[in-house]
Amino acid sequence: MVFPTVQFAIFFPIVLALSWALMRRHKVWKPAMIAASYVFYSAASPAFCLLLAGITLGNQAAAKLIGHSEDARARKRIVVVAVALNLATLGVFKYYGFFATEVNAVLDSVGLGLPLPLAAIALPVGISFITFQAISYTVDVYRREIEPSTTVDVALYLSFFPGLVAGPIVRAREFMPQLEKPRDPRKVAVGAGVALIIIGLVKKVAIADTLAREIVDPVFGVPQAYSAPDVWLAAYAYAVQIFCDFSGYTDIAIGVALLLGFVFPQNFDRPYRAASFGEFWRRWHMTLSRFLRDFLYIPLGGNRGGRWRTVRNLMITMLLGGLWHGAAWGFVLWGAIHGIALVVEHQFRGRVKLPRWFAWLLVFHIVVLAWIPFRAPDLELAGAFVAQLVQPGPATLWTVPVVLATFIVIASQLMPAKPLDALRVRFERLHPAALGASMACVIMLVAATVSSQGVPPFIYFQF
Amino acid sequence: MPSTNRDPFILDRPTGRRLTARDAVVCVFVAVFLLLALEGASIRSSGEKMEAGVERSVVLAVGTPAGWLADRLPIASAADRVTALLSPDDELEGPGGFAAAPVAGAGATASGAGASAPITTDAFDPADLGVEPEQLPALKTLLVTGDSLVQPLDVQLARRLADDGVRTIREARLGTGISKTDLVDWGLLSTRQVSQQEPDAVVMFIGANEGFDFPAPGGGSIECCGADWAAIYATRARAMMETYRRDGAARVYWLTLPMPRDAIRQEVARTVNAAIDVAAQPFRSQVRVLDMAELFTPGERYRAAMAVGGRQTLVRESDGIHLNEAGAGLALDAVLDRLRADFASLG
Repeated sequence: MVFPTVQFAIFFPIVLALSWALMRRHKVWKPAMIAASYVFYSAASPAFCLLLAGITLGNQAAAKLIGHSEDARARKRIVVVAVALNLATLGVFKYYGFFATEVNAVLDSVGLGLPLPLAAIALPVGISFITFQAISYTVDVYRREIEPSTTVDVALYLSFFPGLVAGPIVRAREFMPQLEKPRDPRKVAVGAGVALIIIGLVKKVAIADTLAREIVDPVFGVPQAYSAPDVWLAAYAYAVQIFCDFSGYTDIAIGVALLLGFVFPQNFDRPYRAASFGEFWRRWHMTLSRFLRDFLYIPLGGNRGGRWRTVRNLMITMLLGGLWHGAAWGFVLWGAIHGIALVVEHQFRGRVKLPRWFAWLLVFHIVVLAWIPFRAPDLELAGAFVAQLVQPGPATLWTVPVVLATFIVIASQLMPAKPLDALRVRFERLHPAALGASMACVIMLVAATVSSQGVPPFIYFQF
Repeated sequence: MPSTNRDPFILDRPTGRRLTARDAVVCVFVAVFLLLALEGASIRSSGEKMEAGVERSVVLAVGTPAGWLADRLPIASAADRVTALLSPDDELEGPGGFAAAPVAGAGATASGAGASAPITTDAFDPADLGVEPEQLPALKTLLVTGDSLVQPLDVQLARRLADDGVRTIREARLGTGISKTDLVDWGLLSTRQVSQQEPDAVVMFIGANEGFDFPAPGGGSIECCGADWAAIYATRARAMMETYRRDGAARVYWLTLPMPRDAIRQEVARTVNAAIDVAAQPFRSQVRVLDMAELFTPGERYRAAMAVGGRQTLVRESDGIHLNEAGAGLALDAVLDRLRADFASLG
């Protein structure tokens, strides 16, 4: 089920009312919320619910075994097996086709006819997010940051519908404590939740989908048919589209969770104002950044162990971070560009001081250009897109809505936060009925901008 | 990798007052009530467009009474007029629509191509007669259209022909079908496409969403997939072919459906393919039916992978319906072969 749809608009009010009606009866509330979350997930495919249940039971079994064992080596063996199984699940669904194709190509090239069987495997929606949260739970138990929870709590943690299909990646240690006792019905951040839902809807439907339709999809599809002005605008527009699409989803997810009484971590913080790559990764997909930091970069040794170890660890982390997005060389190249940028930044830290405006300009444009292989269907087309960046010619796709949306979103990230925060706080103080009426008006307006093709899926659903 | 001392939460930022759970429910239900009152007709319409199933039933259970209410509220139509200004879609109207066309039944024939109508030279594909096809001088504008099946073939064609100076117009209408007119009436759309774009050639690949009932002449409906249903489908497809061929000035490349994995969908695909073949008969000199069923699923047996360039390659998406990039590449070759035969500029 997708957020901006009629189905969700019917589903959510029922679940919200039910949730608060049952909140005091916590033992009933939890199974009810699990059931609601599985209904939400089954809209994609009922078969995927079995996979979700399997991941839940498997990780819970591992966590219980770890929790009951005092033998450090046994605990380590169990967590290694659990993490490996989670990654294997992810690997089969997400990377098998890519892996089999590449291996077969290599074997063919050296004359070995041992082809791996090819199979078109359906990618379960949100599998990357679900497995990362499952790993987070098992590893947090292993690290003794949390105790093993009940199976019901783990099932709810892994299936909780607001963040089920595209995050944010909520750590077990953040979510489990919120399940310990009923949420307080006297302290609900209604205004903040509604504000986030409205902002998310506008970002996704009015901005991201419009940019995709009007400029990004045509130009990235056939870059050689366009010249520099259109191609540059498409590059900037895609940077805005992916930000509005993904942060729009997480805004709605966080807002929906707030109305249910739960608090999710923030996932974006005006990333295009970053003047360094380190800062960019503290502002972009923040929950993935910290997951990679805590579960990959630091276990690899982080920046301990000298310059080359740091370089190696940064590159491994960013390459795998790129590959996490999907089985394609474009994602790997995107990760490599960011890895190299972080390495260079790390090497020159404290030695070279650039003016902030220049550093911002440099970082912003490298980020925008790095999105090209990320978005292009393959590396050949990414190359064609880059070649067209210097191809003189007319601007055929420059329309007022496209240019304005692209400019406003980028400019809004460079503005000071205070005036926008003040505006939001004023909105959040409105009467609940006025908040509801505002939400209805915005939904009607953004719904009017949807084409007859409906709302395209969120970009991060495929990851 | 950057490190932060503390993970930020949305509520760390300055925020308004905390309300109660009751306020949350009131707020959401006010929004729901307003949406039902003002957008009820849209909700009903969304439900009607959905495929049969639980979700459709639920949406219609809400949308039908809400639509009834909205139909009687003048403010709802006022809201519609205001929001219509923001719609990115063009309104399809004018001649050529399926809804206005007479409904064919068993034994019915397409207008202008009846059983007693004389056979014309248009009915013969020169290739079938062993004759050199009459080549058109130049392919300037190519329209690639259809439903989701036409992706990613459309973009592959556009890329391949970009260097030949061909203007490729891609118009994929996802979720639409010739047997369903609620999202798009292909009779109207094809007429508009031709009048606006005047294409020299049209590539059509449609059929992922077929199998919907047709209205019967005396009321009721005609279910897929008997001869009655096939006759109406063929009549509609023929009308579109007639439009696209522009009295012989253009060439049409109509792709049949590769067999899908699902058995029920296979039955629909088989019927659609038979209907396409019949529909094209009067226009064989301009309408090429490209057999994707034989190319991808010989003997009507579904397969996800096949030999491409001597190596086993996945050619279908995991849904068992669509072609993936490699599969679309094979379809592209088939289309390009026929385009090159028909247009001197591509020779």
